Amino acid sequence: MDRYLYFSITPEALISSMLPPEDYGNYLAVGTKKRTRGQAIFFEVDPAKIKKHFPLQYIEERCVPHSDGRPKASVYLSIYRVLEHLPIDSLKNLYLTTDDGRVLEIEKTEYTKHHEDKLHLYQEFCPVTPRIASSLNPIEFLKLITDITKPISVPKLVFVELQLDELAHEPQNGNVDNLPYPNIDHLRDCLIGLRKKPDTPTKTVIRFFQGDLLFRTCKNGFFVGDKNKYLYYPFPSLEDLQNKYYSWWRSALTLGFQ
Amino acid sequence: MFSSIFWLIPVSSIIALSFAYLFFKQMMKEDEGTDTMKKIASYVRKGAMAYLKQQYKIVVLFFLIITILFIVLAYVFNLQNPWVPFAFITGGFFSGLAGFFGMKTATYASARTANAAIKSLNRGLKIAFRSGAVMGLVVVGLGLLDISIWFIVLNQFYPISEIDGHNMIIITTTMLTFGMGASAQALFARVGGGIFTKAADVGGDLVGKVEAGIPEDDPRNPATIADNVGDNVGDVAGMGADLYESYCGSILATSALGAAAFLANPVMQFKAVIAPMVIAAMGILLSIAGIYLVRTKEDANQKTLLRSLSLGINASSLLIVGGSYLVVKFLNLDNALGIWGSIVIGLVVGIIIGKATEYYTSHSYKPTRQIANSSKTGPATVIISGLGMGMLSTAIPVIAVVVGIILSFLFAAKFDFANISMGLYGIGISAVGMLSTLGITLATDAYGPIADNAGGNAEMSGLGPEVRKRTDALDSLGNTTAATGKGFAIGSAALTALALLASYVEEIKIGLLRIGKEILEFTDGVKIKTVEATLYDFMNYYQVNLMNPKVLVGIFIGSMMAFLFCGLTMNAVGRASAKMVNEVRRQFRTIPGILEGKQEPDYAECVAISTKGAQIEMVLPSILAILVPIFIGILIGVPGVFGLLVGGLGAGFVLAVFMANSGGAWDNAKKYVEEGNLGGKGSDAHKATVIGDTVGDPFKDTSGPSLNILIKLMSMVAIVMAGLTVAFNIL
Repeated sequence: MDRYLYFSITPEALISSMLPPEDYGNYLAVGTKKRTRGQAIFFEVDPAKIKKHFPLQYIEERCVPHSDGRPKASVYLSIYRVLEHLPIDSLKNLYLTTDDGRVLEIEKTEYTKHHEDKLHLYQEFCPVTPRIASSLNPIEFLKLITDITKPISVPKLVFVELQLDELAHEPQNGNVDNLPYPNIDHLRDCLIGLRKKPDTPTKTVIRFFQGDLLFRTCKNGFFVGDKNKYLYYPFPSLEDLQNKYYSWWRSALTLGFQ
Repeated sequence: MFSSIFWLIPVSSIIALSFAYLFFKQMMKEDEGTDTMKKIASYVRKGAMAYLKQQYKIVVLFFLIITILFIVLAYVFNLQNPWVPFAFITGGFFSGLAGFFGMKTATYASARTANAAIKSLNRGLKIAFRSGAVMGLVVVGLGLLDISIWFIVLNQFYPISEIDGHNMIIITTTMLTFGMGASAQALFARVGGGIFTKAADVGGDLVGKVEAGIPEDDPRNPATIADNVGDNVGDVAGMGADLYESYCGSILATSALGAAAFLANPVMQFKAVIAPMVIAAMGILLSIAGIYLVRTKEDANQKTLLRSLSLGINASSLLIVGGSYLVVKFLNLDNALGIWGSIVIGLVVGIIIGKATEYYTSHSYKPTRQIANSSKTGPATVIISGLGMGMLSTAIPVIAVVVGIILSFLFAAKFDFANISMGLYGIGISAVGMLSTLGITLATDAYGPIADNAGGNAEMSGLGPEVRKRTDALDSLGNTTAATGKGFAIGSAALTALALLASYVEEIKIGLLRIGKEILEFTDGVKIKTVEATLYDFMNYYQVNLMNPKVLVGIFIGSMMAFLFCGLTMNAVGRASAKMVNEVRRQFRTIPGILEGKQEPDYAECVAISTKGAQIEMVLPSILAILVPIFIGILIGVPGVFGLLVGGLGAGFVLAVFMANSGGAWDNAKKYVEEGNLGGKGSDAHKATVIGDTVGDPFKDTSGPSLNILIKLMSMVAIVMAGLTVAFNIL
């Protein structure tokens, strides 16, 4: 049986598994006997590129089939400061798993700026989880946060840009009808604040993100990287979601009460 | 004595049944689609039939007991018309048969509709709508056939004469009693179906969508098939039985009132008796014409779809305005123009109630948007505003019915309030006018669950996005027509119940004559022959006035009955859905691989749980609705029964409108948020409106619609038991 290596960002962990990505996502969301259930976001990792950083012999010993022949679902290799030690180029595809176990695979591509929004909203996942409003575009934002010469920084970061609809241009009066964020007035204040103080490029909207990401709020896509290098995983267009990835999209739109 | 126009009645009923058969055969010729589509459809079909089988077992047992009781009352104690046991059975049988045919058609049609939607929207619409029309035409066809047969049979025993109108009174009041059979069957269908559908829907959603995050109509949810079955047993069989009863009840009550109004003129009496039947017969033919008008273009959007359905209904309604004029003129009824005016009033009231329902429940309008807006402050305010809006929404339908009652009374009574018998006939015939195009209006109601199931089938079978878009469009249209249909059912129930209330007096007269009370002796010494006594005389004799505590007691109990009944049915849904929640959780827990999609859930067990829950829970409210009028009659007599019926009608009608509109508005407030307003899907506002929608589910689909039957059934029971009431009462 093949062995796979996954980097989970919710929560941060490096895990080996004998399940291929789709089955692994399904297992994380609905298949565990602990009956823990819920959304999962993870990358597949190229083991060849992390040999120097993690004791891979550990998983070779532990990640073996069960006595009845079933594949081993998960062996944790690391749970602390994982991203910091992962080389960026070791990350392969990204997998977004819904509450009920539907898995969407996203391949990395070159990031090209689609439009020039004045304001942005970012949800960080790893290693910290604030939600940040910013006047910087995603790449500028990544560079700012991963600039370790600054006191408020992290070595590497995984984050996604979230939709702001009209607020991206009109924070004062923009329509917020389709924005499902809590405390929307505070978000508006943060964005107005960014407009008023151009020298302050970021404002914290939520200090600590709890719960699941509403996939429908993803804009552009997911970013992972540091000051020098980054990977971009584009979120599919609405048309593709409705046509190519319908089952996943329908599941992603289903409301669950946490 | 039978004029040629009478034969239009059985002929129209045969035509209706023939077209229903034709539409059924046409639908069956269509391909059911892929193996998966066939498999899903067969699950739903089996579940629906298993439910009906179980329900009919209980109903048959109930009918057996009641029939024996009626036989004893009629043949041992001579307290009842000897035809009642048989009329009771046929009423129930035909009502059940209509539900069976309608549901059988609907369960065969859903996969075929989904499959037709692969080719085009118009083909999908045609199959779904014409399959819905099977239900509409079977209801009106069987209803009029039953009426025709009884009219002809009873004429053999009580020959209609041109010189004496008393036999006609006996015939019409006897026929009226078959309405109790239809009412009782309708109550079981509505209450049982309503509990089943909401137990499956709420239970399935709570675990599937809310706990496990599984989308609706996902084959991994064990309650999915039960939910689809529920759409059929609640919205097809339940609605069909409800309107079958209203349809027959309004025609029969009007005929009985016509017989009483023209007692002194037997020739005119015959015309007045058959007029509502002939108008209904005309309505059947015009409904069929309207059904053929419903079609749409391939690139139709939501508005175009709605327009095509409206075209069929509006054309039938307009034609019946002209057609009913020809009928009353042809029959040369006394005050033909006035009676025609009453018919038109009934139609207009129906349209106003439908529009008011749409206004209060569609998110295109302010009231539902206000409920949605209240979600910004959480679920509590959604509940409060939904309740408030539902209460406000009672104003227009109630005023429409009130104005309709007065105008239809005045038109028929030549604007003379003292001409009470003609005025009441006018009220009755306005209900007939409202229901005359039931063939097509019920088709639009039954179309809804067919389109809904087609969407579910397309979803579970994994059909392409273009097909799902089409089935979604058909389903969405069905939601709009269903809300309007509910308003229409409530309005017609109110007018029918009022006509039945008036007919109750005629049954009292018959009951008094049967126990040998030939003379009514008043407290002031005046004596009047029972056979010649007017409605006012009976009211005076039994002191049916607001100063009589017996009447007041009856009014209070009648009002309480509406709330008691709602409470019982609401709690029934709560208990049945809790059982469903436990079952779905059990399956997720004990059957490995369901959520991974590797193992098929035990759908049949969920259907069985809903069926069992519905059957157990429907018994108490149904028995209460039947026993209370009998008990009140025995305890406090005719004045108490009058009070009970008035209280039940007043509170029940308003409560039914309130519950149906609140539930509909909560549902659409959620849809409004889901369309990307107030934060859209996943927002706190969405969660608040989901809670509102869940609360509203039993409001709009169980308790509210069941109240229609309650108010009619209590009247029917009072009518059938009038003989017992006049013979025995304690106070």
